[in-house]
Amino acid sequence: MSKTKSPEDIINPDDENAIVIEGLVKKFGDVLAVNDLNLEIKKGELFGLLGPNGAGKTTTINVLSGLLQPTSGTAYVGGYDVRKDLKKVKELIGVCPQEASVFRYLSGRENIELFGSLHGMSKKEVKERTENLLEVANFTETSKRKAKGYSGGMSRQLNLLIALISNPTIAFLDEPTVGMDPRARRKTWEFISSLKNQNKTVILTTHYIEEAEALSDRVGIIDYGELIALGPPKELMKEHGAKNLEEVFLKITGRRILEGV
Amino acid sequence: MNGRRILALVKVQLKALIREPTYLFMMILFPIMLTLIFGVSFGSMDSGIEGVSLFDTMAPGLLAYACIFMIMTVAQAFSDMREKGLLKRMNTTPLTSGEFMGSHVLSNTMVSVLQVILVIVISVIVGFRPNTDAGGFAVAFVLIIALAVCSVGLGLITATIAKSPGAATGIAFIFIMPQMFFGTFMPLGDATKGIAMFLPSAYVTDAIVMIFNGTPLTNPIIWFKLLTVTIIALVIIIVGVQLFKKYGSK
Repeated sequence: MSKTKSPEDIINPDDENAIVIEGLVKKFGDVLAVNDLNLEIKKGELFGLLGPNGAGKTTTINVLSGLLQPTSGTAYVGGYDVRKDLKKVKELIGVCPQEASVFRYLSGRENIELFGSLHGMSKKEVKERTENLLEVANFTETSKRKAKGYSGGMSRQLNLLIALISNPTIAFLDEPTVGMDPRARRKTWEFISSLKNQNKTVILTTHYIEEAEALSDRVGIIDYGELIALGPPKELMKEHGAKNLEEVFLKITGRRILEGV
Repeated sequence: MNGRRILALVKVQLKALIREPTYLFMMILFPIMLTLIFGVSFGSMDSGIEGVSLFDTMAPGLLAYACIFMIMTVAQAFSDMREKGLLKRMNTTPLTSGEFMGSHVLSNTMVSVLQVILVIVISVIVGFRPNTDAGGFAVAFVLIIALAVCSVGLGLITATIAKSPGAATGIAFIFIMPQMFFGTFMPLGDATKGIAMFLPSAYVTDAIVMIFNGTPLTNPIIWFKLLTVTIIALVIIIVGVQLFKKYGSK
């Protein structure tokens, strides 16, 4: 019988890490999507996972959130092994998927409340948290309408709010601003930044360079499933003598991140 | 099992029934229309048995008929949730597959009970007089609930095979048509009786016909048919859930 790991059982008991990824490999048939990924993300950190389309960002998030089983290696989320303690992992996380996955015949508020209930929150908790989220995101009026009438940007905003209803310790935001107009994107950036003040660990995947630069404490640049650069955006730029992260990527790989987008 | 999670999903599924025109039509309006049309058209036609109209022989089959179309709505709902990434999203929450599937069985059972009530009430309005008591109605409800479980299972099998909600609609008819023609109120020839042996709707319709014709509930044939359809329902729902979990949910 396997012993369930408690947060104290993780590799380093004094670790301040929210996520530890160890030799993670994920293959789809012959395609190597994630190749021996090793990474530690600190508690309360806003970590940007940057890379072109098909680099392995979403696959990594899917493994961390329990949607995919690793081919080899493993990852600890909040101290729990994603291969063994998925139930515990799911209690800690909130996931904003790349595509706006919402029930179109429900209102925005009903969508948020539903996912609160699925996380096992009480009716009172769901109501209070929903009110709070809607107010902070300035989404209260919009949330009264059915999601089928939402614009792309509104659907994506709702997508993000659903991910945060359970007040997760660790939030995975997979390309949360794709398809948003510049104003909505700025507003969402502010909202994501505010999560840091709540001491949440945020893993943000994006192929928008300026988004990663503006929001992240540290970024990991991933290409062909491999981590090719890691560090605070300014340090990476300084280290590679680059003006921005796009140039860092260009200098390392000889290609541009946005080429594949 | 977390009751709050199941209840939340049941509420959502019932909201879909009210808010999605396709589901509302297939699950509620269609059975009402069908019962009214058949009642008005065949209510005064002689069945060949004294005092029994042609519609009297059809009404029990209409109950099963309405329930069969649940295969299509379940298949569409699951394919749609898969296509929109909602299954994946729900899979990142602590929701278990047992709670998720259980909520669908529960909500569809509730819909089937509503269908039975509507079809019976409208049948009675247009002249149908079932020769049974409260106990007979209760057994008829149980029979329909077993058929609803079959329909949910067949809907899951359909959603596993279908790649999109549109394809699910077409594939659902593979399961709907035989049950519709050989297992409800259509008159059966000897050749088709062999096919009906494999159709849960045929057992349900036969048993309800017996109950509504005044056969006492002590008759073992009614209970044999209920047992048969219950076993079929359990096998189909287990196969449906397992197939969908393994191949249909991604």
